[in-house]
Amino acid sequence: MNASFLCQYRHLAMAVATVVVLPLVLTSGSLATEVLIFALAALGCNLLLGYTGLMSFGQGIFLGLGSYAAGLALLHLRIPLIAVLPLAMIVGALAAALVGWFSIRQRGTYFVMLTLAFAQMFYFLAYTLRDITGGDNGLLDIPRPPLEILGQRLLPTAGPWEYYTLVAVVFVVVFWVLQRIVDSILGRTLLAVRDNEARAAAAGYDVRMLKLIAFMISGAITGLAGALHAMLTGIAPLSNIEYGTSESILIMTVIGGTGKLFASVLGAGFYVLVGDWLSTLWPRWLMLLGMLLIAVSLFMQKGLWGVGTGLLQRVRRQGRADDTATQRSAAYD
Amino acid sequence: MNIYLLQIINGIGIGMLYFLMAVGLSIVFGLLGFVNFAHGAFFLLGAYACYQFALAGLDYWLALVLAPVIVGGFAWITEKAFLHRIYKLPHEFHILLTVGVALVLQEAVILQWGIVGQNVAVPEALEGVLILGQFVYPKYRIFVIAFTAVIALLLWCLLDKTRLGAIVRAGSESTEMVSLLGIHVTRIFSFVFALGGATAGLAGVLAAPLRGVEPFMGVEALGIAFVVVVIGGMGSFAGALASGLLVGVVQSLMSTLWPEGARLMIFVAMAAVMLLRPNGLFGRT
Repeated sequence: MNASFLCQYRHLAMAVATVVVLPLVLTSGSLATEVLIFALAALGCNLLLGYTGLMSFGQGIFLGLGSYAAGLALLHLRIPLIAVLPLAMIVGALAAALVGWFSIRQRGTYFVMLTLAFAQMFYFLAYTLRDITGGDNGLLDIPRPPLEILGQRLLPTAGPWEYYTLVAVVFVVVFWVLQRIVDSILGRTLLAVRDNEARAAAAGYDVRMLKLIAFMISGAITGLAGALHAMLTGIAPLSNIEYGTSESILIMTVIGGTGKLFASVLGAGFYVLVGDWLSTLWPRWLMLLGMLLIAVSLFMQKGLWGVGTGLLQRVRRQGRADDTATQRSAAYD
Repeated sequence: MNIYLLQIINGIGIGMLYFLMAVGLSIVFGLLGFVNFAHGAFFLLGAYACYQFALAGLDYWLALVLAPVIVGGFAWITEKAFLHRIYKLPHEFHILLTVGVALVLQEAVILQWGIVGQNVAVPEALEGVLILGQFVYPKYRIFVIAFTAVIALLLWCLLDKTRLGAIVRAGSESTEMVSLLGIHVTRIFSFVFALGGATAGLAGVLAAPLRGVEPFMGVEALGIAFVVVVIGGMGSFAGALASGLLVGVVQSLMSTLWPEGARLMIFVAMAAVMLLRPNGLFGRT
């Protein structure tokens, strides 16, 4: 039983391992937290691109709205943390329903263009409604309340590693839920839509509805990531809802590799950690990222995950070849 | 002069530039089947080329001719060096590659000219205003409208009246059939991608004296070009012209009525058209 269980939850095990290893190798708690937050956003993007075949340039909408929702709720309503996270998910899912309802009516390239157009629309909306969003300045001084249920303090969040613990728990739970979704009938049907939309429609599936569901799940996860990000940095800046954020989330997902859950964690980790390191050396490091994206499109379409599994396979094959070689020489002896 | 009339004419000028952006995007999409996300970066390069020419003390007219050629050359290299190799892959990778190219070009622009926006002077011959009785209007803006109208006419002739245009149009219907007829489709691909880049570069040169240059103008222009294509209907020349003008006039009028929301209204207009006509104003159903 154990072997098949491990095999089925291989990706979840790797996610848990990541959560445990990050504090051991990183000295900055907020950097480790950022990795997990963007991993969540990349997972949401992967569900669309890797499992449903939808390339969305609008993930920044949901991240930004999640940030704003959390910021406004914490600043003005002072609602507890345990309620802020579901609120951000609902906001993300509703925005995704709206954007998705418009965009999913179109297919392929048209869909891609619409998601970017909507990303710009929400950016200008946030920019225009400066009474609510703070415009260029964003929302400032967002508090980070401890995790409490019915007045019982479960987890303090003031310190960076304390907050990391909270985000880590959320991350693992979301990863587990996503794994369940991907392995469910819904997940398999989404794959059918990705591989051959016409056929899935002919088989009687409501393709638009399926895409919309995937879009809403993705929006909810990304909104959650946005709320966690707002509480991490204490601000909900305009840049969270910019095109640049949408682009970064997509790039993380693609660099990690699509269609495999843990690949998104790899991609986000790579993006955030390498970005953190390079940006201190050279402010124009995004140029290298652009080159990497070109290289991924040209040579390694399966991303870092594909490179990793490819290497692993080569090592295994090598090992097997060595084994047979020694067996042969043993037989001759 | 009536402020609204003035803003409508302003809008026509901006709209013609939007049309120029959208039509390049549309031609490339028609033949190659994917959206070129580097289109905004080509616009950006054109604008900065204009800025650099002015900085070097060279004539604006030289920039107007040379910058589109240079940007078209960049596009041609992009196609030959990268896109050419991956046409067999799904369109997602074509899009991602152009996103990568756009990022590299944008960062290169920041590296070369800095992150702060700059103004570009209007060419000397077109400084000042034109006065026709009650009608007072900047000369440069009139030039932009007239010049883009000529370019639009030339593009239309190229696509509709020449053998090359016929090949491009046939290629958008069926690339395979065209190549079976013994035509080098790969060369046509390179040419069309370069032509798309050149139109974006030209739009950049024309826009630079109107709005100055800054490194993020490419992304903004790309977003608006998408809106124009979505409103007009993909692959429609008349649609791109009509919706370019519509978007330009809406933006221009709204900047008098509600300055903060002018850009936002462009996207609201798009959503409205999407509701009423999902395939765009001139789109084939």
